[in-house]
Amino acid sequence: MAEPTQDKIISYLYSKLPQAKDLSLSQFVQTAVGWSHEIYVFDARWKENGQEITRGFCLRKDPGSGLLRNLSDLKEQYRVLQALEPTSAPTPKVYWYEEDPSLLGGPFFIMEKVAGEATNPWSKVGKQYYAEAAKRGKLPRSFIEALASLHNLDWRAAGLDFIGVPGPGADFALREVAKWESLIQQSLRKPEPVLTEVLMWLKANAPQTRRLAFVHGAYRTGNLMIKDDLISAIIDWELQVIGDPMYDVAYVLSDLNREGSPLLSCVVEREFFIDTYQQLTGLTIDFDACRYYEILYMMRSTAFWLSASGLFAEGKSKDLRLARTTYSVPVVLNMAAKALGF
Amino acid sequence: MLAAHHLLKEVIASLRTVTAPAVADPYPKSQAYMAAVILEFIARQVEERSDSSKAKEHVLDDLFSDLRLLITDKVPSSKDPDQEARLCRLIEWLYTEKDHLGPEAFAAANQKVRTALRQLLDQELKIAGTKE
Repeated sequence: MAEPTQDKIISYLYSKLPQAKDLSLSQFVQTAVGWSHEIYVFDARWKENGQEITRGFCLRKDPGSGLLRNLSDLKEQYRVLQALEPTSAPTPKVYWYEEDPSLLGGPFFIMEKVAGEATNPWSKVGKQYYAEAAKRGKLPRSFIEALASLHNLDWRAAGLDFIGVPGPGADFALREVAKWESLIQQSLRKPEPVLTEVLMWLKANAPQTRRLAFVHGAYRTGNLMIKDDLISAIIDWELQVIGDPMYDVAYVLSDLNREGSPLLSCVVEREFFIDTYQQLTGLTIDFDACRYYEILYMMRSTAFWLSASGLFAEGKSKDLRLARTTYSVPVVLNMAAKALGF
Repeated sequence: MLAAHHLLKEVIASLRTVTAPAVADPYPKSQAYMAAVILEFIARQVEERSDSSKAKEHVLDDLFSDLRLLITDKVPSSKDPDQEARLCRLIEWLYTEKDHLGPEAFAAANQKVRTALRQLLDQELKIAGTKE
């Protein structure tokens, strides 16, 4: 699919801003992050009724062969962000969604460019940034407050039930397992017996969900915009579900997201997270459920890497980051095997 | 002609010290560094792959023999020439038949399977494992 050129974006913006004149773009960057979608960030400047206006935008476009394949729906992301706008959850304001591929080569939506940075926690520089922010103290609390703002949300009142509401009991966990198993089935190029054992264990041991909440599904540093040590926006809305809040909590508690850092998600001390989260939400963390979800995340990571390396092997992407992920499959499966005791 | 591992070593060094530092745009720069990382993996894969396949075959042959002794004629027969695919079906069968097998037989068979899985995983980690 062709990249959206700046000229095409300018034409599109003129169609949405009919009063605009002399519209131009600057600071145009395709970010290196975002494996499922193409992300472009830019400033637009135009004249309107004699005044000069500058506004930052972020464009998220379906590349046609994203990491999550058919599990990620741009229209759903757009609608979720719309529903979240009047709530206390920090999210970017969305402007327009387009399905017509003739405009930019694929469906896309445009949202505001939020102030701040989503520093990658995996790099040396990123780890240092989060470690220093942790010492200053504001960011760890803001990290927990933003998560609590999602889990305390009245998702029915916000109109978020359109994304699907699981049934009682173990339905949520089983739905998640089935969802990721479908991605595995689309991507698998050779048998993976360790993964089969993990999947069968997950199906046989799914926990009951005590309370449903709005769950981000990938809540960690790197998916959070930060300005002045505060979360300015929760981003990367691809995996949100109505489900067990312990699903997000498990992701925070997981070793998957700290790569050697003693801090959860490279930014918050474990005890502080547990105490503050429980205080802000009134929920008691269910560590057994978290252990289950942590193993589910390992299966999910495996699904990601199988999908990513599969896209490269199928010639659907030339991104070398995707090729590299084939070597991540046994590493994550090793984590799952250890968690299961072998 | 340079030996493959030597050639790879040179390409990796070139990517790291010449190509990537010269690229200003962050996306192609990260691609150049990532190419170097992937070539390091491939270098290890080229050296170790044949040993790994033989070791895996040995592990799977032993496992299927052990399971036949443990749960005798209950193990479903399979003509799948791919031993790892056969193991996947066997794992699914064990969980599906857990109640029929009984907790002790299931646990014993699952233990054998997991021991074999650990050995298979260790072979893969020889190539993919990060240096600790």
